[in-house]
Amino acid sequence: MVWVVEPALDPVQNKEFSIMTDTVIQLDDIRRYYVMGENVVKALDGISLDIKRGEYTAIMGPSGSGKSTMMHLIGCLDTPTEGSIYIDNEDVSDLQETELAFIRNEKVGFVFQQFNLLSRISSLENVMTPLMYAGIPVKQRKEMAAAALERVGLADRMKHRPNELSGGQRQRVSVARALVNNPSIILADEPTGALDTKTGNQILKLFSDLHTEGRTVLVVTHDEKIGAHCLRQIRLCDGKLEEI
Amino acid sequence: MFKENIKLALKAMLGNKLRTMLSLLGIVIGVGSVITILTLGESATKSITQSIVESGLETITIFSTSPDIKAIQYEFNEDLPEKIINNVSGISTVLAVNSSKATLRNGQQSESYTVMGVPANYAGVLDYDIAEGMFFTDKDDQDARQVVVLGAATAETLFPDGGAVGSYVSIFRTQAKSYRVVGVMEEKAASFNLQFDSSVYIPYDTYIQRVQKVEIVGNYLIRTEPDVDVLEVSDNLKNYLDRLVGEGNYRVFSPSTIAEMATSVTGTLSLVLAAIAAISLLVGGIGIMNIMLVSVAERTKEIGIRKALGAPPRVIRGQFITEAVTLTLIGGIIGVIFGTGVSLLATNMLGWSLFPQYLSYLLAVGFSMLVGIFFGWYPAMKASKLDPIEALNYE
Repeated sequence: MVWVVEPALDPVQNKEFSIMTDTVIQLDDIRRYYVMGENVVKALDGISLDIKRGEYTAIMGPSGSGKSTMMHLIGCLDTPTEGSIYIDNEDVSDLQETELAFIRNEKVGFVFQQFNLLSRISSLENVMTPLMYAGIPVKQRKEMAAAALERVGLADRMKHRPNELSGGQRQRVSVARALVNNPSIILADEPTGALDTKTGNQILKLFSDLHTEGRTVLVVTHDEKIGAHCLRQIRLCDGKLEEI
Repeated sequence: MFKENIKLALKAMLGNKLRTMLSLLGIVIGVGSVITILTLGESATKSITQSIVESGLETITIFSTSPDIKAIQYEFNEDLPEKIINNVSGISTVLAVNSSKATLRNGQQSESYTVMGVPANYAGVLDYDIAEGMFFTDKDDQDARQVVVLGAATAETLFPDGGAVGSYVSIFRTQAKSYRVVGVMEEKAASFNLQFDSSVYIPYDTYIQRVQKVEIVGNYLIRTEPDVDVLEVSDNLKNYLDRLVGEGNYRVFSPSTIAEMATSVTGTLSLVLAAIAAISLLVGGIGIMNIMLVSVAERTKEIGIRKALGAPPRVIRGQFITEAVTLTLIGGIIGVIFGTGVSLLATNMLGWSLFPQYLSYLLAVGFSMLVGIFFGWYPAMKASKLDPIEALNYE
């Protein structure tokens, strides 16, 4: 496997990136309550935190701690019951579905545990999909998607469909899909959960490389080893923060 | 994005060929039957019209419907034939005819027949051949002689043993008068406006002097010149008579009126049938809605993924409507091919000529696309409103 690695720089310390050390995500006392019959489940209960551009952060916690809810909120798949979320200093807490879709398309790149690739189309077409929703012309889409697949080392797998690829390859297609529209955040939900240790480590290496390139990476996991791999850990317990 | 949506729709359809085929069946049958009915209706009309014109019925009949009107009384006389020939082109002969029912008797045999007062050239003009004896002459007509020519069936009844020519028959109208039989005609099939075999013929002047004293001529029989368009001649004739005696006071009975009747009957019939067939298109639409709902449910996860990647509801809706319309459009096209095939087969078997209805092709395909939009709308709305998180977690 040939890795295309850009020169490693610590974005936080390097002066070149100082302009990028602004806040990408800002959570301001957010709460997300679910009404279940007569009970109110407080999935998130008053969370405030900032994530700077270029950070490599893990959101950790046992199941039921609220980390999935937090991922959904940061990923603009959901809106908080109370509190405000800013992405690139834009308040997204009260947006409607269509506006949220626009933010997701422009600002967020998702990497899911189960890859979530579209099974009927090739890996190239999968990576092209977010660009289609961004309204980019076909020719340019192809070039950008091909470059992203090359970036993750799958230049020779563009015409393959997901079911013709190994788990590790599929996850790399989904990483390519997450970074193709150059989002503000790459949001990974248990990205190694469906992979064996070796391929899992390769995916983590890919995330480190993306971080080194200056991208903001947020990994949601319950796995301590993966959390340790990240430069910053945020711990959730019962919907509250216990940052170290 | 539209192109991608069509590609996706085709991929989805090819991914489940049997299901696609079954759900298309309703549309295919609906469009197919609409096309078949419209095509067959039109082909039937055209074939009937053609056979009416081609069977050599170059005779046109005029009769008055309002004998009391002054214009009719003034114009429907023995001078009209010449006026018609001078004013309407394509007409070779006009015969003035009067007729009524009367009882004929020969010994014990007696029966009611149509007695026709006709000119001496009647048989010749209508290609009506004599079997025995001869048709009466102009001289018979001028002198109003009491002579009669019998149609084939009349002769058969009145003279079962033959020997009609030279015998006498009685014709009862207001009083009985004796007529000498001068001829018996060959059998001749009735055409749409004339019957031959059960009539008897007497000279025109004899008729108006001795059978029925009438002021006006009852009918005119018109023979067109060979190789003219009978329909056009009868239209011109109508125009002329409208000016002369006024519309509605007379009727022209010709191949064109028969053709018009046939056209209006088959036209109405095929419209009604096509409307019924169109209902099956709606039923086909319900099939499409059903399959689209299944498709949306099956692809909940896909919808979730697309939403996560930034597809707004409008785009998801567009994707599924495009899919429904692609489905019905393909069904419509197959239906047109199928309907044309059935029409071709049927017209071949019936010996008609095929007249493809190109406008109905457009209408049927357009209508099936509308069915796609209409019945695809609800499933597509449902897809676009799915909650992205629930859709993503759907297994």
